[in-house]
Amino acid sequence: MSQNTPLLDARDLVKDFVLGGETVHAVNGVTLAINRGEFVAIMGASGSGKSTFMNMIGCLDVPTGGRLLIDGVDVATLDGDALAEIRNYKIGFVFQQFNLLNRTSALDNVAVPLIYRGTSSADRRAAAQAKLEAMGLGNRLDHTPAKLSGGQQQRVAIARALVTEPLVLLADEPTGALDSQTSEDIMGIFQKLNADGITIIVVTHEAEIAEYATRRIVFRDGKVIEDAPVTNRRTVAA
Amino acid sequence: MIAATISSWLINVAIALTALRTNLMRSMLTTLGVLIGVFAVILAVAIGQGAKSTIIDSISSLGSNMAIVVPVPDTGEDGPRRSSDRGRLNERDARAIARQIPGVVDVAPQLRQSVQIVSIGRNAATSATGVTPGYAKVTNLNVDFGRLISEADVRSAARVTTLGPDVSRKLFGDLNPLGQQVRINKVPFIIIGILEPKGDGPGGNLDDIALIPITTMRQRFASNPGQGPDDLNVLYVGFDSGDALTTGRKQIVELMRERYRVSQGDINPFTVRTTEEFMETAGTITGVLQGLLVGIASISLLVGGIGIMNIMLVSVTERTREIGLRMALGARRRDIRNQFLVEAAVLCVIGGAIGLALAAIAAYYLEPVLEFKAPIGLGTSIFAIVFSGTIGLVFGGYPAIRASRLSPIEALRSE
Repeated sequence: MSQNTPLLDARDLVKDFVLGGETVHAVNGVTLAINRGEFVAIMGASGSGKSTFMNMIGCLDVPTGGRLLIDGVDVATLDGDALAEIRNYKIGFVFQQFNLLNRTSALDNVAVPLIYRGTSSADRRAAAQAKLEAMGLGNRLDHTPAKLSGGQQQRVAIARALVTEPLVLLADEPTGALDSQTSEDIMGIFQKLNADGITIIVVTHEAEIAEYATRRIVFRDGKVIEDAPVTNRRTVAA
Repeated sequence: MIAATISSWLINVAIALTALRTNLMRSMLTTLGVLIGVFAVILAVAIGQGAKSTIIDSISSLGSNMAIVVPVPDTGEDGPRRSSDRGRLNERDARAIARQIPGVVDVAPQLRQSVQIVSIGRNAATSATGVTPGYAKVTNLNVDFGRLISEADVRSAARVTTLGPDVSRKLFGDLNPLGQQVRINKVPFIIIGILEPKGDGPGGNLDDIALIPITTMRQRFASNPGQGPDDLNVLYVGFDSGDALTTGRKQIVELMRERYRVSQGDINPFTVRTTEEFMETAGTITGVLQGLLVGIASISLLVGGIGIMNIMLVSVTERTREIGLRMALGARRRDIRNQFLVEAAVLCVIGGAIGLALAAIAAYYLEPVLEFKAPIGLGTSIFAIVFSGTIGLVFGGYPAIRASRLSPIEALRSE
C-alpha cells in the first residue's frame, strides 16, 4: 500500500453486543483515520468503547457495522486465517499484564510470533536476540518472566511486539501494572520507537500517559468526543 | 515448505514438553492410564502370538504335509457324533492309499492303547503306539540313541520298543536304558531306542510314548477298535508337497468312499484332516483367544484415553489466556489445534513407550509360567508407539478443537 493510504481507516464503525437480551452499542459510529508515523493515545473511561475499538483495529474482533480498512484492506472481507495473518505481520501487541509465557525464557517469549510464520529456529533466535538487545535486555535472554522486574517484563513484551517488524504497535494500558518511574521509561521507549518511524497506538485511562503521544482521541459511550493533537506533550530525555 | 512444516511440529513438541513438565505429577498420573492400557494390550498380543506360534510349531513338528485319517464318522466341522455310527479304517485302506494316491511319500498306520510299563521297581503309564517304519518317516521322528522300529520287527512281531524320552526318564532316570527289559502290560519287551525330544503335538506329548511294532500290538494286546482284524485308530499319510496334500486329501476321501461304498449324501465313516486344517483351526482358536484378551485390555486403554481427554480439557481451560495470547500474536486456529493435539500425542507416546517396555519385561518373566515365548517384535513395538500416538490424537482431538475455537478476546481476558 502506498504511504498515503491511512494505516487505519474507520468509517461509521459499529460494534454491537447482545447482553441479557439487550443490544449494547459498544462502538457506535466511529469515523477516524490514523496515518503512518502517528503516536496516538486513545482515552476514555471504562465502558467508553475504547477497548472494543482497540480489539477491532487489532483484528481480534470484527465490526458489526461500518467499514474498517487496515493498510487499505477491508477486514470484513477477511476470514479467521487472514485476520491471524494481519495480527502476525502488521500488528504488534503490548498488554497491561505483559502476557509473557511462564517458565519460558525471554528469548523464547520474544520468538513466539515468528513461529506462526514458519521462520527457522536459528532466524527466530537471532531476531529475538536483536530485539531484546535493542531493549537493553541483552544480558537477560535466558531469564524467565519470574526472574524479571515488571519493567523488564514489559520490555520483553515490547521486543516480542517488534520482532515481526509490524506497521503498528497496539498497547493496551501498557503502564497499568507499572510504577510511575517505570511507566515513564516505557513511554520513553515508545517515543523513541515512534521517532524511528513506527506507528504507535496506546489505549489508556491516564491523562498523563496520553501526554506522551502526539494525538489524543477520547471515547465516551461508544463515540469519539475529542480528537486533537497533544499540545502539552511530555518527552522523555533520551 | 516441508522443512517449515516439520519445524512447526517440532516446536509443538517442545511446547508440549514444557507444558507437561510444568505439571509433572499430573502428566505422569495421566499418562499412567495409557501406560497401563498399552502394557495390557501389548502383553495380550504377545501372549496370543506366542500361544499361536507354539501350537503351530507343535503341529508342524509332526511333519508339515500330512493328512490324518481317523475311523470317526465325519459329521462336518463339529456336528454331533452318534455312537451308533461306527467308523471304518484298516490296514488295507492304508495300503490302497499308499499305492493309488499320487504324491504320497509314506503312510503310518497306527494302533494305540494306554498301557502300564514296568521296569525294575518303577512303572509309568503311557500310550503304546503300534507302528510301522513309515511312522518315523511321515512324522520326521528320529532317535537319540539306538534305533527305530524296523520292517523286520514288524514282520516278526518282535517284542521290542522305542521309548519317548519322558518315559525313559521315568523308568530309568539318567541310566542307559538300551537293551534293558521292560514289561508292557505284563508282556516283556526289549528297549531298542530312545526318541529325540519333540514336545507337544496335536495327539498329546510326543515324548511320552512307547513305539512298538503294529503286529506285536495286534497279537499281544487284543484291542481292535472296530470289527475287522486289521482295523486302525489312526493313519498318517505323508505327502511330498503342500499341493500334493491339497489334492491328495480329496483323493483320499474319494478312494475311501469308494472302498466303503458310501452313497451320495451319506456321512463318511471316516474323517480326513490335514496339518494345514489343524493349523487353521488352531489359528482360529488362538485368534479368538487373542481377540478376547486384546478386547479386555483395550478397555483399559479406552479408560486411559478418556483420562487424556479429561486432562487435556483441564489444560485447555487453564491455558485459555495463553491461547488468546498466541492468537493475538498471529497463531491461526489450526496452529492452536495442532499444539494441543501434539501435546496429547506426546503424553500418550511417552506412556505407550513405558508401557511397551514394561510389557517386554513382563513377557520375559512370564515365559516360564506360560511355558512358551511371548515375543514382542519390532512390528509390535512400532504398532504400540503409533497406536498410543493415535490415542492421543483421537482423545486429544476434542479438547484441541475446543481450544482452537476460543474467541481470541475472551481467551485474552480470562484469568
